Amino acid sequence: MSHGNPSANPKLIVAVQMLCIGMVLLVLGLVVVLRSPVKSMSPLFRTWSILSNGAIVLAGIVFTIGGIVRYRRLH
Amino acid sequence: MYSNLIITAVYLVLMFGAGIFFSRNIKSTSDYFLAGRSAPWFWIMGAVWATNIGFLHGYLAHGGAAYEWGLIQANFEWFQGPFGYILTGLFFIAFYWRAGIYTVPQFLERRYGNGIRTIYALAWIFIFLVTIAAELYLGGMFLKNILHIPFWPTVFVLTGVVGTYMLLGGLGAAIMMEFVQFVIMMLGTMPLLFILLKMVGGFKGITTTLIGQWGASAQYFSVLPDIHHPYGPGPWVILGQCLVVTIGWCAGHQSMVQRNLGARSLYDAKLGYVVASIPKTLGAFLYIVPMIAAPIVFSRMGIFVEKSDAAYGKLILNLLPQGMLGLFIAGLLSAGLSSIGSVLNSASTMIVKDIYERFFVKGQSDHHYFVAGRVATFGVIIASLLLVPVVLKVYLIMWLEQLLLAMVLGPFMAVLVLAIFWPRANTPGSLVGFLTGGVFAVLLQQVFGVDIFFQISWWSFVVTLAVTVVASLLTPPPKKEKTAGLTWQSNFEVLVGEVVEDRALTKAVQVGEIQQRTIVLPPWYLNIKYWATAILAVQVVLLLFFG
Repeated sequence: MSHGNPSANPKLIVAVQMLCIGMVLLVLGLVVVLRSPVKSMSPLFRTWSILSNGAIVLAGIVFTIGGIVRYRRLH
Repeated sequence: MYSNLIITAVYLVLMFGAGIFFSRNIKSTSDYFLAGRSAPWFWIMGAVWATNIGFLHGYLAHGGAAYEWGLIQANFEWFQGPFGYILTGLFFIAFYWRAGIYTVPQFLERRYGNGIRTIYALAWIFIFLVTIAAELYLGGMFLKNILHIPFWPTVFVLTGVVGTYMLLGGLGAAIMMEFVQFVIMMLGTMPLLFILLKMVGGFKGITTTLIGQWGASAQYFSVLPDIHHPYGPGPWVILGQCLVVTIGWCAGHQSMVQRNLGARSLYDAKLGYVVASIPKTLGAFLYIVPMIAAPIVFSRMGIFVEKSDAAYGKLILNLLPQGMLGLFIAGLLSAGLSSIGSVLNSASTMIVKDIYERFFVKGQSDHHYFVAGRVATFGVIIASLLLVPVVLKVYLIMWLEQLLLAMVLGPFMAVLVLAIFWPRANTPGSLVGFLTGGVFAVLLQQVFGVDIFFQISWWSFVVTLAVTVVASLLTPPPKKEKTAGLTWQSNFEVLVGEVVEDRALTKAVQVGEIQQRTIVLPPWYLNIKYWATAILAVQVVLLLFFG
């Protein structure tokens, strides 16, 4: 018979996951923006680069805020 | 070049850091192996899809096959995948949940007994080891070719990153990282489709050039070609691949199932699996359709591709500007890392739950098995690293993996279907059927020279089904308590029993306080049936256009 360790609060797990996901996407998106020579790209690539990076940064912001809100509700 | 290297390095550091930060919340075996049963449906959706997509089953291999064979490769994304996801989500996951299991072999044991559990677990552990080694090899070669960095240090860095967050964080870390990878793949690599379509004049431009000018066969644009097609004859795709292999993969692959067992509720598990078919469908636009347009771009740029597997890498390397290429590398690495992580987690779960806990150390504390899970993860990492140098050079190992998959998936589907829908199926019947089906698969391949994977799976499924039925009828039926709650019929009985009990309590003389039952229905936009119907309707439309 196994003696159970106390498990973590499932809501806390989800809050930390959201926070981590948000931070990874946000930082990665910003680094890509900073390292992309947007001005020298042709219009086709520039448009899609901005859209793609912008969407990743936006997703990062949404998840980071979501994670912080959920985390603070638990404390 | 340095921009791409920096972006790749930042991505790996972020994954590593996030994994360590998250792991502080992991305290028990349930947290480690099932993420504390906390994952909401959208986590499941991203994790299931990211698990399914890797270097092997995704950008490089599937993209390469699409480059060579055309749109038939999209039948995984537009036909079989969604069908398998939806069917597994609607039917099979509920049985796993009610059985309260950690692994798929555990379900087989509950229903049939020990023998089949051990055979199934050992087969999958071997398949997982080879899969991780192959993914590491492909990842190392990909980075070596694209960033010109040495192979072995790259493999060690990849192993270190994915190994650390898996070792410390378990399934929770895997699901979290898989969701990150899902977002990066979807948002980061989707622009290639639009860029290529603009360059070649849309879908019309592709067909005009390939069929009108280059004389390509119309079958190049068919998802279900005729029976004479050498790569994927349509009827066999439907019978073997769609009805057996794909559903067997979705319902029997520990990595795919384990994500759903980590859901916060059965509803989340089912909905997550059903809606994962949306990114699965979109996957064709990430690496299939772009690779159909790729030959036109290559010819215009004067690029020659020797091996189809290298086509995707060559395309992005020669086409994309700095920064954007870095994001693509992160996207492709995401595919590989998500597959490695999920398989690593599943292999360690099976080693601890199906082998170690049953045969070596029984009845220890939860903490003991929690530590054993981490040790097993470490052991799998080492074993896979040792396999890397030989995995794609030694023909025998990859042959053995393919053979095991063919041996396992057909018979597994047969015994699973009978386990759930035919309460008369019993232990000796399933064991004899499973082994006969497996041996038959080997004979088909080795003696009769059948080399189409779908055919082997289909016939081994049929043989297993027939032998299991006959052998079960010749032996005593299983006891009712053995099948209670595990079959379609028994669940129905339980539900009816609950309703009758509830009615008896509410209508008859009340002897005490009766607790009011409150059933919270999900909002209409989260209704599983609506989503399943809508997704299947999209598949029908896609098949009407490209079938």
